[in-house]
Amino acid sequence: MAFCCEHSAYSAADLAGRLALHCPENLRVIPVPCAGRVDTLHILKAFEKGAAAVLVLGCEEGACHHLTGNTRAKERVKHSEVLLKEIGGNGRYVAMSNLSPNAPHKFVKIIDEMNEKIKKSGEVR
Amino acid sequence: MEPRIGVFICDCGGSIKNIDFSLAGKKVAKSSNVAFVDLSSDLCLKEGKEKMSSSLRAKNIDRVVVAACSPESKRYVFQQVLEGAGLNGHLLSVVNIREQCSWAHGGDVTEKALQLIQMGVNRARLLKPIEKKEVPLNKEVLVVGGGFSGMSSAIQLSRLGLRTILLERESALGGRNRDLEDLYGLKTNSMIKGIEGDKNIEVFTSSEVVRVEGRVGDFTVKIRKGTEELSRVFGGIVFATGYETGGDSQFKSSAHITSPNGLAHMLQASNLARKPRTVGFVFDSSDENSRLPAMATLNTALAAKQKWGGEVYVFCKNVKVDGEGLESLYSEARECGVVFVKFEEKPNISAQDGRVKIEARDVLLGENTTLNCDLLVAEEKFSPSQGTGTLSSLLNVRTDSRGFYQDENVHLYPVASERKGIFFVGDCRGDSGPRRVVTDVSSVVTSLYELLGPGKIVVERDRVKVDPQKCRTCLTCVRACPHSAVGLTRIDNGREVAEIWDLACDGCGICTAICPAKAIEFEGYSDQQILAQIEAIGVS
Repeated sequence: MAFCCEHSAYSAADLAGRLALHCPENLRVIPVPCAGRVDTLHILKAFEKGAAAVLVLGCEEGACHHLTGNTRAKERVKHSEVLLKEIGGNGRYVAMSNLSPNAPHKFVKIIDEMNEKIKKSGEVR
Repeated sequence: MEPRIGVFICDCGGSIKNIDFSLAGKKVAKSSNVAFVDLSSDLCLKEGKEKMSSSLRAKNIDRVVVAACSPESKRYVFQQVLEGAGLNGHLLSVVNIREQCSWAHGGDVTEKALQLIQMGVNRARLLKPIEKKEVPLNKEVLVVGGGFSGMSSAIQLSRLGLRTILLERESALGGRNRDLEDLYGLKTNSMIKGIEGDKNIEVFTSSEVVRVEGRVGDFTVKIRKGTEELSRVFGGIVFATGYETGGDSQFKSSAHITSPNGLAHMLQASNLARKPRTVGFVFDSSDENSRLPAMATLNTALAAKQKWGGEVYVFCKNVKVDGEGLESLYSEARECGVVFVKFEEKPNISAQDGRVKIEARDVLLGENTTLNCDLLVAEEKFSPSQGTGTLSSLLNVRTDSRGFYQDENVHLYPVASERKGIFFVGDCRGDSGPRRVVTDVSSVVTSLYELLGPGKIVVERDRVKVDPQKCRTCLTCVRACPHSAVGLTRIDNGREVAEIWDLACDGCGICTAICPAKAIEFEGYSDQQILAQIEAIGVS
């Protein structure tokens, strides 16, 4: 599950598709207007619904379209990580990554790496 | 009444091959609230749109899911179809089954497409219409700074019929280049005359901005004019506050040592006792931020060569020519006979027999070079005008590492700030120059005319809305909003609660996520709508 900022990651994902850069099929993208819109609640809900990993993908640091959205998202991801550990989410991951809208290769790389991680931990369905 | 959702699936002219459309259509039709499913292959073309529009009416559909290409490319087109059929354009959920499903994977992806469409259906079920409203805008513009860029902005704005107030801190207009008319070909003096005779421009000299409140179309600005203070309302604000030089030069200015700015004044003066025959520049900056000093050096070196003849040497570590027109300026200087000497270690500078001696190691020749010159032009520090820091915190806008105003987006909106209606023009942006100022001014003026010209604007009402009952006035949203779009309003019982200004809001949802009372609803991206999409990944 990936929350993608419409200013960066969502465009990068589109571009990846247009360039036919294949990424794992188990990816589900939810577009958000800014990574700062993503709440801890959304991340935890995704785990509750069976997601093995949640990614929050926002603009590059210092280049957030809404200035502080990506740094706020980062804090929330950190917080979710703590909560995830507390409730025993071993083998499940939550992570924040930054990329620019013209970085389709980076997008695919982020998704691939996360997919490898959850494959190893046996969480991928 | 239960929503009636219409799902339109399109294979984009046959470009989506790895999805079984008829199977997907059949399965989607079974989801709750789905009243109608249509398969198409030309939804965004004329025939497709007409067919979609007539089915919307015939089947009495009030929520729409379009599963086709990326919403980034065609959402707008489908919104228009909805509006044409008498539906609110926001009752639409676009599902990206092309770029992020079909094209992103190799094999058959019908299962994934189905789940994505289900996510879209779940979201569509909860969508609410967003009404539009017309907001009046004040058409007056405040231009802060009466230098070249400020004056040109005011003149052009006035030509377009926008009344302008030109604010200048000094007692007269003109700015840094007032006395340098001939040198740069800036017609400052005739501009000042033009402004004085312009009924559309009001000039406030010896004046400063004290406070700025409100938002685009309705900024209340407190101005200190001499000893009195007055308040005026403006639709937009342009800052053209320029830069300052000097400060930490290692040399004291003397008859033999000056700065590029000092040299410019010497070049302009007609009654110079004796023209220097040999001029040596020492220019040490080579970092990212050396555009302004590089430009000043190149400009004045070229002018000195052209006006005085004689010999002109520029000792430099690196000339960074990444600004607009800098490369051609550098070539022109070289062609005119300005000699550039590249050094790595700082040159030794000493006084000798009333002249200045520059000793440096020329790294290209690999030899020591000595120059005795009549005039040394030493580099000076360029910093934002005094008060830029205060103003930026007053306005809640960013500055860059050197303290100059920061563009909202270097490529897309180079003269805009993150606050709608506030613009920066000219050297206060940190790296400018005469040529760039001209383009800056035009883009600011057209942006402002586009924004304020009609005197009113249509905005979406309450897309982001505060529930006054839930709001506890903790001001978290006021502090967090990157666009200063949250203010306070008094409700019936006299309590103050947060209010989102539709016009200034850029729709990022940061306030919605950060509100501890969950009092802010962001239609289209509300908690329920996001959670409903997550809900769909569990079902399959």
